[in-house]
Amino acid sequence: MRLPKFEYFEPATVDEASSILLDRPGAKILAGGTDLLVNMKHRVETPAVLVNIKKIPNLSYVRSENGGLAIGALTRLKKVFGHPDVADRAGALAGAASSVGSYHHQTMGTLGGNVLQQTRCKFFNQSKWWRSSRPLCYKAGGEMCYVVNKKETCFSSYCGDVAPALLVLDASATLSGANGTRSVKLSELYSGEGRKPLQIKLEETLTEITIPAESLRGISVYRKVANRESIDFPIVGAAVWASFDKKEYRVAYTAVDRKPVRALKAEELLNGEDLNDALLDEAAALAAKEATPVKSSLYAPSYKRKMMGTLLKTSLRELMGRAGQ
Amino acid sequence: MKVGITLNINGDMYEALVGANQTLLEVLRDKFGLMGTKRGCDLGACGACTVLVDGEAHLSCIMLAVDAVDREIVTIEGLGTRTGLHPLQKAFVEKGALQCGFCTPGMIMTAKSALDEDPHPTEEAIKKKMAGNLCRCTGYTKIVEAVMSVAENEEGGV
Repeated sequence: MRLPKFEYFEPATVDEASSILLDRPGAKILAGGTDLLVNMKHRVETPAVLVNIKKIPNLSYVRSENGGLAIGALTRLKKVFGHPDVADRAGALAGAASSVGSYHHQTMGTLGGNVLQQTRCKFFNQSKWWRSSRPLCYKAGGEMCYVVNKKETCFSSYCGDVAPALLVLDASATLSGANGTRSVKLSELYSGEGRKPLQIKLEETLTEITIPAESLRGISVYRKVANRESIDFPIVGAAVWASFDKKEYRVAYTAVDRKPVRALKAEELLNGEDLNDALLDEAAALAAKEATPVKSSLYAPSYKRKMMGTLLKTSLRELMGRAGQ
Repeated sequence: MKVGITLNINGDMYEALVGANQTLLEVLRDKFGLMGTKRGCDLGACGACTVLVDGEAHLSCIMLAVDAVDREIVTIEGLGTRTGLHPLQKAFVEKGALQCGFCTPGMIMTAKSALDEDPHPTEEAIKKKMAGNLCRCTGYTKIVEAVMSVAENEEGGV
C-alpha cells in the first residue's frame, strides 16, 4: 500500500516547525508515525505536507522537576514506562504506556503522538475500498455520521491509552508556537468533537507533558479491556488514582466518548470516604453514566458502560490492596 | 520529488533516489532487493516487516525511508553468515518454529531485539514482546520455545 504524496520537512527547531506549519495550511506533524502513517495509507488523512519533528533535539527526556515529572513529547513510550521514576511513582502512566499496541509500537510511538492521536471509528478506520461501498462519512470528508445517522456531526471515539492516565495524574501539556509557549491542562487539548478532536492552534507543537508533585504522592493504575489484550486498542480503558491518606480519588476513561473523560460525579461520591463494597458499587453505577459511548466500534455501548463500572471497581480494589486498606 | 539518501543497512552503505512517501520496507525490498523483510498487512499490525533500527524492533512498513537516514538498520540478511546460522535462526530450525516461514524474519528480528534488551527474560516477557508478530501456522508454542532456548543458553548478547 503506497502512501499518498506529500511535501516533506525536517525542521531542526520548534520555531522552524511552527513557521512551516503556519506557511503551509494542511501540514501535519509526524512523530512516531504509528497512527498517522496508517491513516494515510487508508487515505483517511492526506496531508499535503509532513513536518517530521523527530530531528529536533532535546525533546526526549524524563526528568524530575519541582518534585514532579517533566517528560519530553518525543520520548518514546518504551522509554516512558521503562523510566524508574515513572514506573515507581506514576503507575497509571507506566501501565498505560506499556499497554499501547505491540512492543514495536511502544518502541516507535512517542508520548506526544499518543496523546494527540486521531479519534477512531469503525466507519473511518477502514481501507479506501471498504469505505467506497457508501458515501464518505463526515469525518472522512462526507456529510453523514453513520454511527448516529445524523448530518454534520462525528461520533468517533478517542481511544488513546495514555490520556486517561495523564488526566488522573492532573498532567499539563506545554505547547510551543509562533507566540511563545503556553501550558494547558491536558483536558483542554480535547475538543469533544469527533471531526476535529484537538484544540491546538495550527502552528503549535506539543513539546512537554508535566505531572505535578502532588499527583506523585498518590498511587495509580491503568486497566483496559481489549479484544486481544496485548496488542489492541482498548474497548474501554480506565485510569484510577487514589490518595488514601487524604481520601481523594480520581477516575478517567478512554474509548467511551469523543474525548478522554474524567468521571467527576463518581469522584465526588468517593472523595472523603473510606471505601467499601457498597460504595464501590454505587460509584461504578454512577461512573458508567458519565460518558456517552456510541456504537463507533464493534462493541455495544451497554457493554462499554458495564465495563466502565467493572474497571473502576477492580482498579480501586487493586489500589486498596497495594495501600493495605 | 525524489531525494538521494544513503542508508546504513547490515553495516553496508546503500544509496538510492527515493520519494518522501516511500516506506523503509518499500526501499529495502524494491530498491535494494533485500527480500527477507516481508510485506504482510502493510499497516503495522502483523510484525512481518520488523527490522532493527539502532538495535530496536521497528515496523518498516510504517516508517519513512527518509527517516532512516543516519540510523543503523539490520535486516534478517544481516544475521548469521552464509556458512553459519545465527543462534536464533538455528533454534527456529531445531525447534520446528516455522512452517510456511513468512512471519519468521519478523519473529527473529523481534526476538533479537527482545533478547538484546534482556538476555534472560521470563517466558511471559517474551510472549508480551512478541505479541505484535502474527503467525498463522505454528500456534506460537514452538516459537516461544525456540526463543527461550536461546535465552537460556545465551551467555552475553545475541
